[in-house]
Amino acid sequence: MNAQTRTEMRELSYAEAIREAMDIALASDDRVILMGEDIGVYGGAFQVTGDLVEKYGTDRVMDTPISELGGAGVAVGAALTGLKPIFEFQFSDFAALAMEQIVNQAAKVRYMLGGSVSVPLVMRFPAGSGTGAAAQHSQSIEAWLGHVPGLKVVQPSTPEDVKGMLLAALEDPDPVMIFEHKILYKMKGHVPEGHYTTPIGKAAIRRAGKDLTIVATSLMVHKALAAAETLGPEGIDVEVIDLRTIRPMDRETVLASVRKTGRLICVYEGVKTLGVGAEISAMVAESDAFDFLDAPIVRLGGAECPIPYNPELEKAVVPQVPDILDAARNLAEGRI
Amino acid sequence: MPIEVIMPKVDMDMAKGKIVTWHVSEGDTVTKGEPLFDIETDKAAMEVEAADSGILHHAVPEGTDVPIGKPVAWLYAEGEEVGDPPAGLAPAEPDAPAVKDDPAPRADAPRPGATRREPDAGEKQRATPRARALARDGGVDIDAIAGTGPRGRVQAGDVAALLDRGPAQLGAATFRAETGPLSVTRSKGGTGTPVVMIHGFASDATSWAPLEAHLKHRPVIRIDLPGHGKSPKLKVASFAALLQEVRRTFDDLNLDQAHLIGHSLGGALALGIADTRARGIASLTLIAPAGLGPDIDGAALSGICRASRAESLGPWLRRLVADEDIITDSYVRLAMAGRSDPNLRAAQSAMADTLFPDGVQAVDLRAALDRLTPPARIIWGKRDAIIPWRHALRAPGRVALHLFDGIGHMPQIECAEEVGVLLRSQI
Amino acid sequence: MADAATDTNTPYAIRTYSPQRLKDALHKMFLIRKFEEGAEDSYTRGLIHGTMHLSIGQEASAVGSCMSLSDEDKITSTHRGHGHCVAKDADLGKMFAEFFGKETGYCKGRGGSMHIADPSRGNLGANGIVGGGLPIAVGAALSAKRLGTGAVTVCFFGDGANNEGAFHESLNMAAVWKLPVVFVCENNRYGMSTSTARSTAVKQIAERAAAYSMPGVTVDGNDFSAVTEAVDAAVARARRGEGPSLVENMTYRWRGHSKSDRNRYRTKEEIAEWMERDPIVAMSKLLVDHKILTEAEVGALEEDAARIIREAIDFAAASPDPKIEEATRDVYTEGAAA
Ligand SMILES: Cc1ncc(C[n+]2csc(CCOP(=O)(O)OP(=O)(O)O)c2C)c(N)n1
Ligand SMILES: [Mg+2]
Repeated sequence: MNAQTRTEMRELSYAEAIREAMDIALASDDRVILMGEDIGVYGGAFQVTGDLVEKYGTDRVMDTPISELGGAGVAVGAALTGLKPIFEFQFSDFAALAMEQIVNQAAKVRYMLGGSVSVPLVMRFPAGSGTGAAAQHSQSIEAWLGHVPGLKVVQPSTPEDVKGMLLAALEDPDPVMIFEHKILYKMKGHVPEGHYTTPIGKAAIRRAGKDLTIVATSLMVHKALAAAETLGPEGIDVEVIDLRTIRPMDRETVLASVRKTGRLICVYEGVKTLGVGAEISAMVAESDAFDFLDAPIVRLGGAECPIPYNPELEKAVVPQVPDILDAARNLAEGRI
Repeated sequence: MPIEVIMPKVDMDMAKGKIVTWHVSEGDTVTKGEPLFDIETDKAAMEVEAADSGILHHAVPEGTDVPIGKPVAWLYAEGEEVGDPPAGLAPAEPDAPAVKDDPAPRADAPRPGATRREPDAGEKQRATPRARALARDGGVDIDAIAGTGPRGRVQAGDVAALLDRGPAQLGAATFRAETGPLSVTRSKGGTGTPVVMIHGFASDATSWAPLEAHLKHRPVIRIDLPGHGKSPKLKVASFAALLQEVRRTFDDLNLDQAHLIGHSLGGALALGIADTRARGIASLTLIAPAGLGPDIDGAALSGICRASRAESLGPWLRRLVADEDIITDSYVRLAMAGRSDPNLRAAQSAMADTLFPDGVQAVDLRAALDRLTPPARIIWGKRDAIIPWRHALRAPGRVALHLFDGIGHMPQIECAEEVGVLLRSQI
Repeated sequence: MADAATDTNTPYAIRTYSPQRLKDALHKMFLIRKFEEGAEDSYTRGLIHGTMHLSIGQEASAVGSCMSLSDEDKITSTHRGHGHCVAKDADLGKMFAEFFGKETGYCKGRGGSMHIADPSRGNLGANGIVGGGLPIAVGAALSAKRLGTGAVTVCFFGDGANNEGAFHESLNMAAVWKLPVVFVCENNRYGMSTSTARSTAVKQIAERAAAYSMPGVTVDGNDFSAVTEAVDAAVARARRGEGPSLVENMTYRWRGHSKSDRNRYRTKEEIAEWMERDPIVAMSKLLVDHKILTEAEVGALEEDAARIIREAIDFAAASPDPKIEEATRDVYTEGAAA
């Protein structure tokens, strides 16, 4: 086996891929620092930073006090003035405490100052349900931030992408918010070695198909792919698009697929109403791809409630593979 | 207080009229006596002048039917505040079906205020966007398709199945529709009042060449009909829509005065234009015009449209003239070369189907002929095998008749010299 | 022999509370310990999905801080809140049922360990957000003052929470408006892995009180009597309308922060040392020393607590799950005017 194939075979978990990206960044650029709660000796609540503190020390892998607003704001200030902070929220839910600095400062300062400054800030948000952590530790709030001009918001779904998008985010002069589904952390996949970037703002076609387009984000990409595997033998050929970035959204990839299949399902974990799926649907409805729709658009999103604790309820309030199967069959067989 | 503009009663038994075109845009000023809008009734089309001066607001969308006496817009004074439309404005789409007992949002519900090229399309039939697009491109009437989707929705498959049944089933209805303005060509030289020429069905602007030789002293402007010559293959839903398209082209020429000449279908269109643009017409010449009676040789029309080779085109072309010898083989080959695009032929088939269904003229312009005010003449060959020359006898006394013995449907070619001399005396 | 009620050499709790109340207090401390152990055991058996934050080692702080509270008085609690619930007389069966995600639980299976609340006993609930309960406690105190209920709010929070803006904003408003609230910091030396030395500019959280012009004291949080003495005084001050206080109970959590803690930020020795200072052992000794209980009676109390917990677990295990169709119930008030 030569070196090339070994590289191709190499598998890392999603968390390891993030760590490797941060490791590369810390090693190659002195201006990069990590900030967050318990990211040092504890290794991060989800063991993403791991042992980086041993390699780079507490000056560059900084445990903050439990001070989300202040911590995020310090990162904004540091980004404004020469550092490149990667700020980890312990859970994306706690970003609610830091909204002021994210939304009013990080997102707007460049614009407010007439383009004379920039905020090269990366924020990481462990997100989503499925861990039994209930209403305040399970949310999918990416659409909140997706609503803010000035931010870029990504939701990588694979180890390879999360590494590439984190490195791309570090090269981006503007604030990039990375939503990482907690369930994905342990997922393994091929990750190229060394430095590479995965473009922000570009969706990926994970599976080509001709009958039906599913645009999915984050963990839902995997559920959509699982559903597509079941549907194939039934004669329903599904195209699965991993949106990857929700702001700016990759219009062309989505529209081209809809023009091809004429049927669209949006699958995302955030609350269905006023969420990512609403934007995808509107984008299609407002475009020429509308002419190619041969059935109503279907959105599968989170139920209109906080994430419940009971595991059965918790599963029931976010889209699952059977929900996608039902929707796809109904669409393909002309029941909706 | 704003002044209301109403739908005028212009005909004895007119109950409502359709706003075809506004000549003044919302928010623009119009002066009393200027053309304000065109209407169309069951019988006729005409231009309505502004009865007062003011700034136009709350104009009902083009394509709307409005009962006579009901306001179609309001004229405001300079500086007068424009709020909601004063009460009594005709509903935007009075024919829109009421939505009943359907709790689910209707994707196809009428959109208030939306202006469309075909105001009827989309409001009667439940259909997906893709089905509509397919039907539009295929020249198929979506309203005529039975949908197999939920709640009877027409889906792409329904349209595709229909299209797959082939041209035989579809008749003349299938072609790839295009969009864009009609082709206008102009002669070099000439002075004074220009001559505007509108050719007949299945012909094109080049057919005027023999006649033009006699009109070189005037600028000549030729309009290609949709689906003919260099014009785009528009979907033509009705004669009214066709007239609207050609009239828009005529309006865009921006001529103070014009001599208008039309042949056959072009004659009907010229008459329709003269009906609503009477003041701009210096003279009107109708050569074997359509629109004055029901009869027409449908077989010849569809034969020409169908012909895909010179061999099948020749016999039909010879039917157009009295002396078959003038239609030489090389003439036929040339004509076929101009018709080699199957989509052009399909577009013309579709148009024939719309305007002359089952070999009958669906266009009746006799009332317009009666109303005609500009100097006008009708020229016809007494051996016309396509449209009977006797239709000319419907003309009122003001209209001059020139009936040629031994001439068929194409006097402008068959006896170009005589027709030219005739025209030159007045143009 | 001097009268225990007046002898200042006698611990405050012995002087202040009846033998029955002291016995009840020890019983509650046993209940908390057994509850946490039962929770841990259930987790190990796979009966609980999600994580939990155990308060083993902190029982004296929870029970001692609630001694002078009635059902009218309120508490706000934290992610490490099981002890506070028990101290505020929660039903153990309903607590376990919640832990198991059952319809019979305090939150009908919707909230889980981190959100147990019992408004009927004045327990406004645990909180998943560090510092989340602080402003809410001030709000409850504002209600009590405006409505004249005479109620006091005890606001539990961890040392980690003292660095949230909400902490500072809350103390300031409580002081400015002289509200009847007692801020009880359970300083167990760490917020997750981060020690107060690494996170907090002052040595003791109680020093923060000075910035907001309120009394601040630090006590041995594993000493039941010391806790009651400090908190009772603060509650009494609040009831007199003199405003808020800050009490800092120095204590220690024996277990990891949550089930995923690898204890890399502290030593085994440190943990062992604190386990030597078991607040339940200390309380038992206090009551035995003062002849309120015999060793055997202490044993019986522990036994009884274990039995109650077993029954609570049985109740929870046998309880029905919530209905899937009702997942979106209680997002809004039913029948409320739109
Ligand atoms: C706003 C917020 N930030 C972070 C967390 C994650 N978290 C939960 S508990 C905890 C430590 C809290 O420390 P402390 O207040 O001292 O309470 P202890 O766990 O020691 O009882 C952290 C960081 C959270 N739940 N909420
Ligand atoms: Mg702590």
